[in-house]
Amino acid sequence: MKYKIYPILLLVPFILNGQNRHYNLKEVTFEERRPLKEIGVVKVKFDSLMLKENIALSMADILAYNSSLFVKNYGRATLSTVSFRGTSSSHTQVLWNGIPINSPMLGMTDFSQIPSYLIDDASLLYGSSSVGETGGGLGGLVSLGTKEQEDDGFDVGYIQGAGSFRTFDEFLRIGYKNDKFSTRTRVVYSSSANDYSYTNYDKKVNIYDENKNIIGQYHPKEKNRSGAFYDFHILQELWYDNHKGDLFSLKAWYMNSDRELPLLTTDYGSDIAFENKQREHTLRIVSSWNHRKSNWQINANIGYVNSWLGYDYKRDNGSGEMIIMTCSRNKINSYFLHAGGEYSPVHQLLFSVNADVRRHNVNNTDKTLSSSNNVNVIDGYDRGRTESSFSESVKWQPIDRFGISGVLREEIYGNKKPILIPAITLDGVLCKRLGLVTRASVSKNYRFPSLNDLYFFPGGNPDLKSEKGITYDVGVSYNLSKLTGFKLSGGLNWFESWIDDWILWLPTTKGFFSPENVKKVHSYGIETNLALGFAFYKNLFLDMNGSYSWTPSINDGEPTSPADKSVGKQLPYIPEHSSSITGRLTWRQWAFQYKWCYYSRRYTMSSGDVTLSGRLPVYYMNNVSLERKLTFKKLDLNLKLAVNNLFNEDYVSILSHPMPGINFEFFIGILPKF
Amino acid sequence: MKWESIGLEPSLAVDGNGVYILNEGNFQYGNASLSYYDPATKTVENEVFYRANGMKLGDVAQSMTIHNNAGWIVVNNSHVVFKIDLKTFREIGRIEGFTSPRYIHFVNDSKAYVTQIWDNRIAIVNPERYEITGYIEIPGMKQSTASTEQMLQVGDYVYCVCWSHQRQVIKIDTGSDAVVESIEVGAQPQSMAVDCNGCLWVLTDGGYKGSPSGYEQPKLNKIDLSLFEVVKTFEFPITDSPSELTVSSDGKCLYWLNKDVWKMSVTDEKLPSTPFIRNIGTIFYGLSLDSFRNEIYVADAIDYQQQGMVYRYSSQGDMIDSFYVGIIPGFIVANN
Repeated sequence: MKYKIYPILLLVPFILNGQNRHYNLKEVTFEERRPLKEIGVVKVKFDSLMLKENIALSMADILAYNSSLFVKNYGRATLSTVSFRGTSSSHTQVLWNGIPINSPMLGMTDFSQIPSYLIDDASLLYGSSSVGETGGGLGGLVSLGTKEQEDDGFDVGYIQGAGSFRTFDEFLRIGYKNDKFSTRTRVVYSSSANDYSYTNYDKKVNIYDENKNIIGQYHPKEKNRSGAFYDFHILQELWYDNHKGDLFSLKAWYMNSDRELPLLTTDYGSDIAFENKQREHTLRIVSSWNHRKSNWQINANIGYVNSWLGYDYKRDNGSGEMIIMTCSRNKINSYFLHAGGEYSPVHQLLFSVNADVRRHNVNNTDKTLSSSNNVNVIDGYDRGRTESSFSESVKWQPIDRFGISGVLREEIYGNKKPILIPAITLDGVLCKRLGLVTRASVSKNYRFPSLNDLYFFPGGNPDLKSEKGITYDVGVSYNLSKLTGFKLSGGLNWFESWIDDWILWLPTTKGFFSPENVKKVHSYGIETNLALGFAFYKNLFLDMNGSYSWTPSINDGEPTSPADKSVGKQLPYIPEHSSSITGRLTWRQWAFQYKWCYYSRRYTMSSGDVTLSGRLPVYYMNNVSLERKLTFKKLDLNLKLAVNNLFNEDYVSILSHPMPGINFEFFIGILPKF
Repeated sequence: MKWESIGLEPSLAVDGNGVYILNEGNFQYGNASLSYYDPATKTVENEVFYRANGMKLGDVAQSMTIHNNAGWIVVNNSHVVFKIDLKTFREIGRIEGFTSPRYIHFVNDSKAYVTQIWDNRIAIVNPERYEITGYIEIPGMKQSTASTEQMLQVGDYVYCVCWSHQRQVIKIDTGSDAVVESIEVGAQPQSMAVDCNGCLWVLTDGGYKGSPSGYEQPKLNKIDLSLFEVVKTFEFPITDSPSELTVSSDGKCLYWLNKDVWKMSVTDEKLPSTPFIRNIGTIFYGLSLDSFRNEIYVADAIDYQQQGMVYRYSSQGDMIDSFYVGIIPGFIVANN
């Protein structure tokens, strides 16, 4: 890398100089004192500034630059998955307004399909802390939600963005709120040719003489071919508050996505016409009711997710005829029921119970196979699974400085025996003046195999066992805001976990892959973060957040053969070190933001060997943006220029998947006043 | 990161009388590689294509054929066939424009066939001009499940197994470049060999449950080429998955993989009951006989995510050496 900038050093002078007494503190990441409900919980909350600083970003980008989670990104507007603490992406559970949105087929969530514009509330729950919300989060939980608009009256906003690679973004929100009722509609439309240029260092172009002897070679400058996409989202929300303790809401989110999948850098078929595309239509609906009284509350949710996913891969065979190689069609219907209640007989004690029932029906077909001549062809699978989860918890704060919480969750899937998932968390205030809180937790957890793991054709393995994990963590957080007069808070955690029966898809001699329970993984490490905010001059505010993780994730199993070098080595594609920093400087109507993230070298081999063909070196990514707000009588205008990959780094996140160099996007936001 | 010159070794050179190991790499990751092993010195050089050329070999290196002192490497998901110098590993040329190439067979110096999956045509190429000059249509084969795989030539005919989702062996007249006959041998004929009596042996893997080609007991078929008929069949248990059939240099013994390495005489009346070389927790993935030195090479993919191991055995099955190569070593070819 040409520009090795270590922005952590920038924090130092600001810490020394901050003197502001009137700075409006943001939500701090680690709170000084937990609500009873969050005793011992390791939770990172994202404030609205983080979520909305660049509305064109997906949640994958938000998490990459505002947390130390590992975001595995296959390219711009392509699959982006998130993993905690050295686990895999399927060990990250994701809730949207309380309903799980992990794909029941794949087990994971594509965060590139979640626009930050549609999310108002996001938090990360690490390890054991996720058990109170859901099971299966061997790494943790990403909880996403939407919120009612804050002020009564109309709220309308329209933002348009235009950027590099013929990228166009449109965002519209229309909201209204009165005493009892509120509604909000949000629309996102993004499209891009996504044909960025890059130098392809993985291949060379030959220059021949007339006798077909190579007389020269060079690395070609290529365009990202087959990377175009358009995504459309519409989110409709309704709330009704009867002021008698009942809050009703209905939220419906429809997505229509059409994305091409780019060529590998090692593909020499670039001159041949082909189509490599995935399409998705997904509707998510959740309706909820919450009844709250002074010391108890009950709530119920009902949800439904319908997805249609198509994947097509065709190539011209040289005669102009497009050969269909894959024509995969998937229909998913998921139904969710949730009921829960909380009761606090005294203010130091809280009981809660929750019951969830989920039903997933998946119909997976590959039309390529079914179109063959032969009879009795299985061309996919058509399966359903019912999952139930019951949890009971008690949270007790016997003294002001100490709290303890216990959760017991029972999970059942299919006709399997119930699985018990226990978790204990506790915390204690060490020093009120410093906001010094210590916490610890321990839990056992399981993750069911996904429906593809069990039934995919060909290769699904119905004999797979659930992955199981044990994890504990201890940590400390501080909040020096009261002491310093400006926002200064942070935390440090140590964690350790063991996952057994890790599921991996491996090749077979019959030409397809099949999953097996193969690995035992031991991961451990440190997570730390720091939030800082103050005004060091009149109207000049600085707000910074930084995080760093050290996450060895080690294969702790038995060698498969005497030649196996993977035991004791870091898992492939999981960085040992990751870090991110965002800083926002605001002055009057101006705002300047700088974002930086770092991933250490990732191994592509289980043995930890580094080869020429399998290098994923360290990379640092720097983004900046400059924003100006213009205030008029009838409306506000926001102008913003965002620059991504500021130093035009040549980098890859996944082998042979090209990434864009420096790119720009300009936004105009129109916010009428009513 | 300055990517351009990493790993480039223009002076890399060997005598070329060794063993070439093609490592598939992981699908969609473009990390295939070529290794070279010198049996005389017991030394191995890994990633020689990258080191010689300063670029990747590609995604899923499928097979390598040596012809006229040059190596021809078929890189399946990169849709390319590279020609390399066997001593320097430098690229001499390449053929592009394939649907999904698998194997290359030379009919003569100016004509070769390239088999493919997802395409019901075998490409005819001019290796001197690096051009596709035509196609051999496979009668009755649907595009969507098409597959042609290994080829062997006996006289004027090239025999080709049709593996993925198929059941037949086809016979191609090299004069007319047309399929003249085909014979059904069972679900997914995977590999073949010609014995000392001029008979063709074809190994099927039996397919899998729900496969368009069926799911049945894998078979070892003996085909009388004069009749182009199956004259003998040996059946394996349905749960077996035999592969990589090959023959000794004298044509008297057959070898294949089925978790272990198995060996039988071409005159045997039943399948062997004990393996020739037992696996030791290894995942045997590739098998090749070095006819020049009368030795056996077996590749272990280990967990498919690390450098595989190649084991070198004497013709009696005694281990001589072992060495690490690249990810998923699948194809081994010896030269002399």
